[in-house]
Amino acid sequence: MAVPSTRRLRGLRKALLGLVGLAGFLVVWQLVPTLGLINPQYLPYVTDVFARLAEESVDLAFWRRLGATMKSWAIGLTVATVAAVVLGTIVGLVSFLRRATHTVVEFLRPIPSVALIPLAVLMFGIQMEAALVIIIYASFWQVFVQVIYGVADVDAVARDTARSFGLTRREQLTRLVLPTALPYLMTGVRLAAAVALILAITAEMVIGNPGLGTLIELSRSAGDSVGLYAFVVVTGLLGLAVNLVFRFVERRTLFWHQSIRGEQAR
Amino acid sequence: MKKVIALGLIAATAIALTGCTDSDASSPSDSTDGDLRQVRVAALPITETAALWGGIKAGIFAKRGLNVEVLPAQGGAQAIPALLNGDIDFAIGQPFGPFRADLQDLGVVVIGNYASSYAEGDDINAVVASAKSGITRPAELAGRRVAVNSLGAAGDVTIMAAVEKDGGDPSTIKFVEVAFPDAPAQLEAGNIDAAWVPEPFVTQLRSRGDTFIVAPYQAVVPGLTTLTTITTKERTESDAKLVDDFAAAMKETLQWAQDPANEAAVRQAIKDNLQLPEPVADSVKLPEFGWDLDRTSLQTLAELAQKYKVLDKQPNLDRLIQQK
Repeated sequence: MAVPSTRRLRGLRKALLGLVGLAGFLVVWQLVPTLGLINPQYLPYVTDVFARLAEESVDLAFWRRLGATMKSWAIGLTVATVAAVVLGTIVGLVSFLRRATHTVVEFLRPIPSVALIPLAVLMFGIQMEAALVIIIYASFWQVFVQVIYGVADVDAVARDTARSFGLTRREQLTRLVLPTALPYLMTGVRLAAAVALILAITAEMVIGNPGLGTLIELSRSAGDSVGLYAFVVVTGLLGLAVNLVFRFVERRTLFWHQSIRGEQAR
Repeated sequence: MKKVIALGLIAATAIALTGCTDSDASSPSDSTDGDLRQVRVAALPITETAALWGGIKAGIFAKRGLNVEVLPAQGGAQAIPALLNGDIDFAIGQPFGPFRADLQDLGVVVIGNYASSYAEGDDINAVVASAKSGITRPAELAGRRVAVNSLGAAGDVTIMAAVEKDGGDPSTIKFVEVAFPDAPAQLEAGNIDAAWVPEPFVTQLRSRGDTFIVAPYQAVVPGLTTLTTITTKERTESDAKLVDDFAAAMKETLQWAQDPANEAAVRQAIKDNLQLPEPVADSVKLPEFGWDLDRTSLQTLAELAQKYKVLDKQPNLDRLIQQK
């Protein structure tokens, strides 16, 4: 009996701490313009921002833009993940390929994908496809590099054991390599999900395909700081939701892994 | 327990949905006419675009069989690649986009004007200096930090010319790139000494005590064009009918927008398409709309740009300007 109750208490305390942190943040935000540290014309009161948010949340137009952003996020993340898993597994397994691509990957990876926007627009025009190019480019590397490391991390003893038991190549892949790479993949996807969201919104701000980013840009060019921060808060909430969902998925798929088991035993 | 929560969520969503409004619903030209030709036009999300939005709503384009979709391009950097690959048919933008495109031989042509500044009276943009900078006249901008929305365009070129005209040394001005909406905050913080801004910021800054210095367009090239309509040379040859229809509709739209009787409709278009506060939309100064290009003013602008080393050579205006 004692075990679940302490666990519940611990969960309660965690949630409470989270709420205290959030409340503290909101109070500081409200105080900054109230005390005149920043002119409220440029940093609006938190109360005004949330009032505006409530107003927007009953406007279907807002939900449609949000839907457009989430659609390009979902498509971009899926394509990037699938491509990175396939290519990363192949490259990670073949040491010749790994050495041959290492320099190119390290050259391409740090290129800010926003720099590719003119190229993307030239290829696809002012629409979602152009945004997808930069979303996929940025999130691909996150997963790709993790998968390469994950695939290379197979335990030597486990590999020898698998060999001496006469496992076929396919069996080795599904029973040894992929389970080893899964925690890496999960980390990669969680990072990529956040990157894809940032890039989806950035693309809308710069390219102008409809979405949350265009709403932010429109409010900014109208000097409407209340609207601007209302949409910025929405992007923050989206990021939070995405992170929570992926942590949940991670916990469910990796229940057997020590990183998760360790957390629960503590 | 879980079922109750789920049901509660569904009920809450249903209640929330019935209370929803839809601010998109006012767009009239939804796909009712199947035989209208689809035309995609890139335009900046600024108050000037109100003439185009208003003209579409008034049915001027539909009358000529065109169903125009306006895409909010942020600037020439996005509009010109999209024009070249055929994703959009026309773009409305400031003249330096086509100038540079012509220097790179991209096959872009200017087929008409869109909006111009005023040759006399209060102009649509101005350089305003913060009160604490102590600047009172153009010559004193020399050696100071002056903000323009984008470097290497009509703003800094005309400011340099205006400073030189007033006896200052234009080469010592430190230009910085600051987006128009950010300029008031940067002026207040003292990061810049003066800023080139359009309305409604000119009025906003003057009313808080900042100093009007000069309207650089009016001081240098009175009535200078601010926005032009561009397309590709290839489009004018392969689809001459579309270009002619569009040009005719644009001409009528700009005349319509210029007519004081339609001002209310133009201002309504601002409210429908931009997130501007209502009093601003009602009072913002509109430019002079018109389809006829003023070649001399464009030429002067290009020559000034070369003089101040913003362009390294002259665009071929005979090739670039194809008034329709």
